[in-house]
Amino acid sequence: MRMSLAQRVLLTWLFTLLFLIMLVLKLDEKAPWNWFLIFIPVWIFDTILLVMLIVKMAGRCKSGFDPRNGSQNMKKKVWYLVAMLLKLAFCLALCAKLQRFTTMKLAYVFIPLWALLLGAMVELGYNIFYVRRD
Amino acid sequence: MLFSLRELVQWLGFATFEIFLHGLALLAFSVLLVLKVDGAAAALSWWIVFVPFFAADGLSTYFTTIVSVRLFQDGEKRLAVLRLFWILTILSLKFVFEMLLCQKLVEHTRELWYGLIMSPVFILLQLLMIRACRVN
Repeated sequence: MRMSLAQRVLLTWLFTLLFLIMLVLKLDEKAPWNWFLIFIPVWIFDTILLVMLIVKMAGRCKSGFDPRNGSQNMKKKVWYLVAMLLKLAFCLALCAKLQRFTTMKLAYVFIPLWALLLGAMVELGYNIFYVRRD
Repeated sequence: MLFSLRELVQWLGFATFEIFLHGLALLAFSVLLVLKVDGAAAALSWWIVFVPFFAADGLSTYFTTIVSVRLFQDGEKRLAVLRLFWILTILSLKFVFEMLLCQKLVEHTRELWYGLIMSPVFILLQLLMIRACRVN
């Protein structure tokens, strides 16, 4: 079952809006909550995406699946899984830093985000400069 | 992941190259932010930290203007005007948000509260939702 574009946009929009509202409340000192609580919409959204991705990947284990059809697709899904985990690692490290659970430098917090952005840039660059020339 | 690149281009109205440009700007901004906050380049002003975003906005505007002029010359007048109007709205909202945030970080004024700073982003979210319904 695949969600329509409007459903996926609605899902993203709802969680982004909730997160921004909570962020504003926290930054304006109207809500003295823990940073991990502020990030609840992000955790829920990431969990939904991870579950959807894992269910799709597990579809390969079904009987009657022809592995010759989806090797390229599988590589893409593995990259998406890594990207999700990198994003989750960044958010967790950022929360820990903001909550002063750790005194590590901000550079270490940003390493997963940089890895994610570099990967995304390579994929986008491939789509712009390589696929079109083909 | 949740959206394919084609869907993103349709939804946001930006070309793939523009999305690439804004991604690069985010990467450069995060590096400058870390340098500023970690103290490796504490003397950097907040305006300089935000330069990648301002540059990406400027380049995107330039790119959009050229594409719209070409579309206009090719007789696609309605498409050219609609594209120019949409992209300029998005970019101006983004620019206002960046300016307000930068000003807040520089001056720490109490009058400039975060709800006000975020208001362009909230407007942007509503516009993106409306556009998604149309694209769908």
